[in-house]
Amino acid sequence: MLFATLEHILTHISFSTISIVITIHLRALLVRELGGLRDSSEKGMIATFFSITGFLVSRWLSSGHFPLSNLYESLIFLSWALYILHTIPKVQNSKNDLSTITTPSTILTQGFATSGLLTEMHQSTILVPALQSQWLMMHVSMMLLSYATLLCGSLLSAAILIIRFRNNFNFFSKKNKNVLKKTFLFSKMEYFYAKRSYFKSASVPSFPNYYKYQLTERLDSWSYRVISLGFTLLTIGILCGAVWANEAWGSYWNWDPKETWAFITWTIFAIYLHSRTNQNWKGTNSALVASIGFLIIWICYFGINLLGIGLHSYGSFTLTPN
Amino acid sequence: MPSPTCYLLLNPSRAHRRLLPSPRPPAAARCGRLRVSCDVPRQGGDGGGAKRGVIPSGDGKGKKRVVFFDAAPPLAQQSGGEEGKVKKAEPKQDGAALRLLRRATKRTLSVLSNLPLAITEMFAIAGLMALGTVIDQGEAPSYYLEKFPEDNPVLGFITWRWILTPGFDHMFSSPVFLGLLALLAASLMACTYTTQLPMVKVAKRWSFMSSGGSIRKQDFSDSLPRASIQDLGVILMGAGYEVFTKGPSLYAFKGLAGRYAPIGVHLAMILVMAGATLTATGSFKGSVDVPQGLNFVIGDIMKPKGFLSVAPDVFNTEVHVNRFYMEYYDSGEVSQFYSDLSLFDLDGKEVMRRTIKVNDPLRYGGITIYQTDWGFSALQVKKNGEGPFNLAMAPLKLNGDKKLYGTFLPLEDSDSSSSVKGISMLARDLQSIVLYDQDGKFVGVRRPSSKLPIEINGNEILIEDAIGSTGLDLKTDPGIPVVYAGFGALMLTTCISYLSHAQLWALQDGTTVVIGGKSNRAKIEFSDEMNRLLNKVPELISVNEKTVDNKSSAT
Repeated sequence: MLFATLEHILTHISFSTISIVITIHLRALLVRELGGLRDSSEKGMIATFFSITGFLVSRWLSSGHFPLSNLYESLIFLSWALYILHTIPKVQNSKNDLSTITTPSTILTQGFATSGLLTEMHQSTILVPALQSQWLMMHVSMMLLSYATLLCGSLLSAAILIIRFRNNFNFFSKKNKNVLKKTFLFSKMEYFYAKRSYFKSASVPSFPNYYKYQLTERLDSWSYRVISLGFTLLTIGILCGAVWANEAWGSYWNWDPKETWAFITWTIFAIYLHSRTNQNWKGTNSALVASIGFLIIWICYFGINLLGIGLHSYGSFTLTPN
Repeated sequence: MPSPTCYLLLNPSRAHRRLLPSPRPPAAARCGRLRVSCDVPRQGGDGGGAKRGVIPSGDGKGKKRVVFFDAAPPLAQQSGGEEGKVKKAEPKQDGAALRLLRRATKRTLSVLSNLPLAITEMFAIAGLMALGTVIDQGEAPSYYLEKFPEDNPVLGFITWRWILTPGFDHMFSSPVFLGLLALLAASLMACTYTTQLPMVKVAKRWSFMSSGGSIRKQDFSDSLPRASIQDLGVILMGAGYEVFTKGPSLYAFKGLAGRYAPIGVHLAMILVMAGATLTATGSFKGSVDVPQGLNFVIGDIMKPKGFLSVAPDVFNTEVHVNRFYMEYYDSGEVSQFYSDLSLFDLDGKEVMRRTIKVNDPLRYGGITIYQTDWGFSALQVKKNGEGPFNLAMAPLKLNGDKKLYGTFLPLEDSDSSSSVKGISMLARDLQSIVLYDQDGKFVGVRRPSSKLPIEINGNEILIEDAIGSTGLDLKTDPGIPVVYAGFGALMLTTCISYLSHAQLWALQDGTTVVIGGKSNRAKIEFSDEMNRLLNKVPELISVNEKTVDNKSSAT
C-alpha cells in the first residue's frame, strides 16, 4: 500500500513537472527565450528523472523483480531511457538538437503510460515462469533503450524531411503540436544558420568550422550518430533475447511475431546505415528510411503487444507454446 | 623547415612529457590560441602571467628541435611511396575458358556487391517477414481457401493462390524467403570481398598530403598562422591520436578499429547464417508428455529436421521422470514448474539426475531437455477407505486458453441401467480439486495434500494425490556453437563500429600550418574536438609582433 501510494505520487510529480517543462520550452520557442526559465526547465527535467527513477526503484522493491514485466512499466522505462538520452550530450557538454526531440517524447510516453492505458495495467503483475530469468533485465532493458534511441534518431530524420519539404508539410503542422513545435523551431534555426553561413562565405574565411555545417547536415549527422547507437543497442538486445530464447523456449529463433518485427526493425535500420555509405542517397533517402523505421518501431513495440499474438504477449502467456 | 628525410614519429607518452613542460589549459585569452613568446615571458598579460613553455619559432633552419622516434615505423617505407599503387598481377594466359570463368566470377561479384541490390534484398526480406506475421502461418490449406476465397479476394486481388503457390503459408521456410536470405548472404560475402577488404589496405597506409589544396578540401579544414606542426602533433597525441610526420607534413588518425569493425560485422553475420543453416539441416527435435513416474527413450521421440541430422549415441539414453511439481504464488498462480529427471544409459546405470525448470534446461551429451508444458495425468482417490484408485484425467476444451481437466468416479447404483451416475471432479491445476455430486451440484474443494475426506452421496472420498505429467521438449542442435560465436562477434563488432575513424593531415606552409581532417562517423564531434584542440596549439610570436601586441592591448 505504501509503495502504491509512493508510485502514485511519483508518477504524478513527474508528469506535472514535465508538463511545466514543455510549457517553458514552447514559450521559449514561440515568444522569446528567458535565461532563468531555461535553467528551470533543465531542473524540471532532473526532477522528472528522479521521480521516474524513484518510481522504478519502488516498483522493483515492491514486486521483487526488475520492473519490466508489463507494458505500463516498459513505457515508464522508455521515458526513463529517453531522459538518459537527453542527458548524455549534456554530460559531454556538446550542444545539439536532441533535447528538442527527447523532452516532448518523454512527456508523450509518460502521458500515454499514465492516462492512456487501462488502470488495471498499472498494477505490478507476477512474473510468469518463462520470464523468471536474469536475461529479463538484460534483454528487455536493452530493447527499450534501443527503442528510445532509435525513436529519437528517426525523429531527427523526420525533422530533416520536414525541413526539406516544409511547404508541403504545412497542413501537417496544424494537426500535430509536436510537429508544429519542430517546424517553428527549425525554421528559426535554419534562418539563423543560413545567416551565419552567409557571413562565412562572404568575408570571413577563417570563421570557425562549426558553422560550416548547415542545419540539415547537423541534424543528419546527429540522427546518424543516434541511430548508430540505437542500432548497436538493438543488436545486443536481440541477441540477448535469442540466447534467452534458447534457454527458455528451446530455440534461439522461433519466428515469433515480436521477434520477427524486431528483426524487421533491425533490417530497416541496417538499410539506413548502408544507404548512408552512398553519397547520392545520403540525406533525403536515408532520412526517409529512418522515418519508416519510426513507424516500424511502434508496430514492433506496441502493435504486437496489443494484438497479443505470439510468445511475447506476456499478459496471456500461459506456458503453452504452439 | 626540417629536412624532408627526417621522419618524426612521436612516442605518445614520452614525447608528450618531453615537449609540453606545462600542460596547462589554454588561457582565457582574447584570441582562442595560447600564445607563447620565444624570448621573454609576458608579464601580467592575459590569463595567469606565469612562465609558459618556450618553443622556438621557426625562423632559422638549424634551430629546429628534432624529436627522434623510438622505433622505426613498420610501414614507413610503404608510406613513403604514396603514389605507389598496388601492382596488378598480370593475367595468366591459361586459356580462354579459364579467362571466361574468371571474368564471369568477377562480373558476378560486382553484381552481388552492388549496394542498391543489397538494399533491395533487405527491403524484400523485411517485407516478406512482415507478410509472414500478417498471414497466419502453418494452417491447413482449407483455412486459406476459406479466408482468402477466390470469389471475394482480399484487397481485390489476393486469393488463396497468392498465398499457397509461393508457400507463404509457411513463410519462414518457403523457398522464396530462404532464397532471398541466401542471396543476401552471397551479397554480404561479395561486398566483404570486393569492397571492404581492399579498404583495409587503404586505411592501413599512412598517406601524407603534400599540397595545401588537397588538405583544404577535407570536411574539416583550418589554417593556423604562426604555429608549428610539432606542437600540433604533441597536442594530437595528447588527445589519443597516432601521429606520424614526414618533413613538413603530418598525418594522424584515431579509431582505426571503427574502420575495420564493419568487416567484422559482415563476417559475424555470415557466421550466424552458417550456424542457422547448420541448425536447420542438422538438428533433431522432439516433444513428449510424460506422466510422473514413467520413462521414455530419447531416440524414440526425436525426429530429424534436415538431411544432415545424424543421431548421436546418447539417443538410447532413457529418461525417467521421478517427480513433477509446481510452485505457486500466494495468489494461486503458478510460479514455476519443476521436473526431477533421471537419465539412464543402456546398462541401466544412472548417468545424471537433475531437476529442471523453465529457463533452466538439462544438457547431456548434446541433448537439451526443456520444461515447456504440463498436464494432469491422473488423480489418486480412496473411496470409503478402499483403493487407492487411479482415475485418468481428461483435458476439457472450453473457451479460453486456461487448462481444465476432469474425471469421473462412477458410483455403483443397483438400479442404474440407463445412465451411470457418479462424482465429477474438475481441476485447473494440481493444487485444488473441485468435486460435484451425482446430480451435478457443487460439493466442495479439496487439496490433494490436505488428507481431508469429503462426504458425497454417502461415500467418503479422500483425494490421495494428484499426478501431473510433464511436457518436455528435447533437441540437439549442432549449430549452436557456431551461432553463439557469431552472436558474440556481432555484438562486439557492432559496438566497435560505433567508434569513428578520424584522420587528420597537416602541412607546415612557412609559419602557417594548414590542417584538414575527416571522420567517417562522428562528424560534428570531430569538428568540435578539432576546434578545441587547435585552440591549444601555441602561437609563436616574434619580438616585433609582441610589442605590437602589447601596444594594442594597452590601448
